[in-house]
Amino acid sequence: MELSILLLIFGSSEQFRRVKAIKNTLRGRRTVSNLYWALQYDMLDFVDSLHGTGFGEDEVAVKQLKVHGLADTDDNFQFKLTAKGADQQEKYLSRLLPLKYLALGSRYDVAKFMRRFSFAVQIVSEFSYTNNKYYPQSINYFEDQLLKRWFVQTKHTDLPAQFHQLLNGFLNGLANDELANLFVQSLVGHGFSGLTADQIATQAHSDVTVVNLEWLQTYGVLLERVLKLPNDNPFKMLTVGLEKPIIAQSAKETFEMFVHQENGSLNTIAQKRRVKLTTVYEHLLEAAIMLPVTKFPYKALIQPESKRHLEASHPVNVGSWTFEAAKQEIPDLSFFEFRLFQIYRSKSADEN
Amino acid sequence: MKINLQSALKNEFGFDSFRPGQETILKNLFSHKNTLAILPTGGGKTLLYQMYGALSRQRVMIVSPLISLMQDQVSRLQYLGSKRVVALTSALDYQEKAVILKHLNQYQFIYASPEMLANEQVLRQIKSLNIGLFVIDEAHCISEWGPDFRPDYLNLGKVRHALGNPLTLMMTATATKTVRQDIIDHLDLESTSVEQIVLPVNRPNIFLSAKILSGQQEKDQTLIDLVRQLHGPGIIYFSSKSKAEQAAVTLSSQTDRRVMAYHGGMDTQQRFHIQQQFMDGNLDIVCATSAFGMGIDKDDIRFVIHYHLPANIQSYVQEIGRCGRDQQPGLAILLYEPNDRYLQMNLIDNTIPDRNLLQYLYQHPKALTNEDQFRVIKYYYDHGYSFDQATAVFDHSRERRLSELTAMVRYVYHDGCRRDELLKYFDETLSEDQKNSAFCCDHDIDFWGHWQNFNDKYLKQSEKSVEYRPQSWHEVIDKLFLLKN
Repeated sequence: MELSILLLIFGSSEQFRRVKAIKNTLRGRRTVSNLYWALQYDMLDFVDSLHGTGFGEDEVAVKQLKVHGLADTDDNFQFKLTAKGADQQEKYLSRLLPLKYLALGSRYDVAKFMRRFSFAVQIVSEFSYTNNKYYPQSINYFEDQLLKRWFVQTKHTDLPAQFHQLLNGFLNGLANDELANLFVQSLVGHGFSGLTADQIATQAHSDVTVVNLEWLQTYGVLLERVLKLPNDNPFKMLTVGLEKPIIAQSAKETFEMFVHQENGSLNTIAQKRRVKLTTVYEHLLEAAIMLPVTKFPYKALIQPESKRHLEASHPVNVGSWTFEAAKQEIPDLSFFEFRLFQIYRSKSADEN
Repeated sequence: MKINLQSALKNEFGFDSFRPGQETILKNLFSHKNTLAILPTGGGKTLLYQMYGALSRQRVMIVSPLISLMQDQVSRLQYLGSKRVVALTSALDYQEKAVILKHLNQYQFIYASPEMLANEQVLRQIKSLNIGLFVIDEAHCISEWGPDFRPDYLNLGKVRHALGNPLTLMMTATATKTVRQDIIDHLDLESTSVEQIVLPVNRPNIFLSAKILSGQQEKDQTLIDLVRQLHGPGIIYFSSKSKAEQAAVTLSSQTDRRVMAYHGGMDTQQRFHIQQQFMDGNLDIVCATSAFGMGIDKDDIRFVIHYHLPANIQSYVQEIGRCGRDQQPGLAILLYEPNDRYLQMNLIDNTIPDRNLLQYLYQHPKALTNEDQFRVIKYYYDHGYSFDQATAVFDHSRERRLSELTAMVRYVYHDGCRRDELLKYFDETLSEDQKNSAFCCDHDIDFWGHWQNFNDKYLKQSEKSVEYRPQSWHEVIDKLFLLKN
């Protein structure tokens, strides 16, 4: 996907934003630093939503925005949208479905669902014409097995009619024929070979990236619909294993151990988990960023004395407060407490 | 085992007749004779082992050199109706490989790369199965003197013994006598115990032509003129991905043909759409690199144009062989401008390690990984070749490739019969009464003066390209699912 378009969509005209942080948030690089900036940019819902997608070079994207007068940039690969950039952002946002349908990719592997569903359509389409001489789509081994099992278990249920009905209901429900027409071009079946994103973009005078985002979003809508179906519905099996954890498994284990031990010593946790103390800090920070403010034991981790100092010294915009500046005010402050406090304040402000 | 092959072909596979050589090879296999088959591209190699497996109900193991080729072959076998197919390649991740190995006995057709078979765990698992037919595809890769030598192929003789010497079918599209003997020797077979079936390379329904142009601009214009008028689906081959993409854009905008690029750098789903569109007749022309066409059986392709010079005559014959599979007239055109030769020479320089790289790798053997580019060097290093010996091998390899390129260029400039020139490379000759001078090559007739007439007379518009194509989403879902009521 073209990074410059994603930067326009997720950029701000009020705040300088880090190009790398936006890119890494979308592709799911879960470092504390990336997650922290995702929190500051209100992008936590989009963490990993474009997992596995290739993006262009940061430098090229930033240059493109600058050359076209869409953003102001600084030396640290940060950018802020100009009025023209904000206009362009508005154009993209009005063309796309609400971004929550892209955010679904953070909780479910929508791209995998897209490949699965498209393959299932091919199998059932050829089956409805009783044709078994066709080139199947190329998909990995486990997905292939899942689809085989699914087909064997469900083919007696008049799948062609069920698919027709599901798609008819879903595409009517979009109430947007242009988008529905775009969606069906992602499919392949008997005597129908669809179109590539490039072909659609050329026909519609649009961008390939926008077409790909529209596909992901419409598949997001479809996935939500399928997830609501009763468990014995044949389509339900196509959603198996798509759910993504909100917190990475290892961080979750550290966090749960901490809660279990009723706020026990972090050194003990590090020993038991056989990780470094700094890793324990990182895991807890990830949990703090990703969980609602009420679900994280801030009090147990920020000493009352530090909390008092921090409350007394922080600037209005606590998110952009640097550790170096804070250290000058509070010499004994640890980075862990400092970052936790920032997270606490940012999340409290958001959730109030 | 008494089997009526003709009726099995019709009943189980829906074909009316065998392609040349197929029936003889199958008869050999059913008489339990090891067979070396030289079949041209599109000669129906897959059907051979698929049919043997289906009728004998035995397990078939196929060794194939390239992941992309294997994936195409798996698709092709599934396309022809076999579903118990799996490929063991380095593209699998650890978990996938473990699960496949555990359930290997569920598969009837097992593809494996030679590197996979060098892995003891894999070989142990395969040994526990009963292999009824051991197939070596692209068998010429076993020959150190062949153009596509793959060191891992040398291990296959041992693998064959480890599997209890199953019935063996060796296949390749082209191999000289020396290479054929090499294949038999390396597999530790007796020449007398191997049946050799060599089919002619000549495809009389493909008209051969080439045009020398002054430069790229003239070549581009000629391509546009040809694409504007030539009938039927066609493929244009390029040596570079970027040029294939660029040409697809130019041809789409300057002609009324539906043109798309296809190359290995595109994502799988995108390639799949393009392949399907071409098969369904929704695309007229594909601007491709050699990655396109290996597993595809589209029989109504009317022309193949080479925008760039292929590396050797063997590749050229394979690529032009993709047109006219329906036995209707097809047209092969090679466009050449003098600089094209240097493009190929650069490719040779980039694929064969130079002395400095070789010296560095011999001094730092840890850098020798199993990456494709170092695989051959690693083989020589591991087998105790000295630096000088390895250098000599690669010098020889470079010289051979250059001389193959020279033969290719000679074909372009040849002022006699092009068919004779091509076939000469494969030690094949045609008698005068086997030739049809009205439909042979641009030496016999003034093709370039009247190619539009040739086009109208011989190249028939495919019926598929005028098929109805659904537009709105309602039409698409109605078309996709044929409902009972």
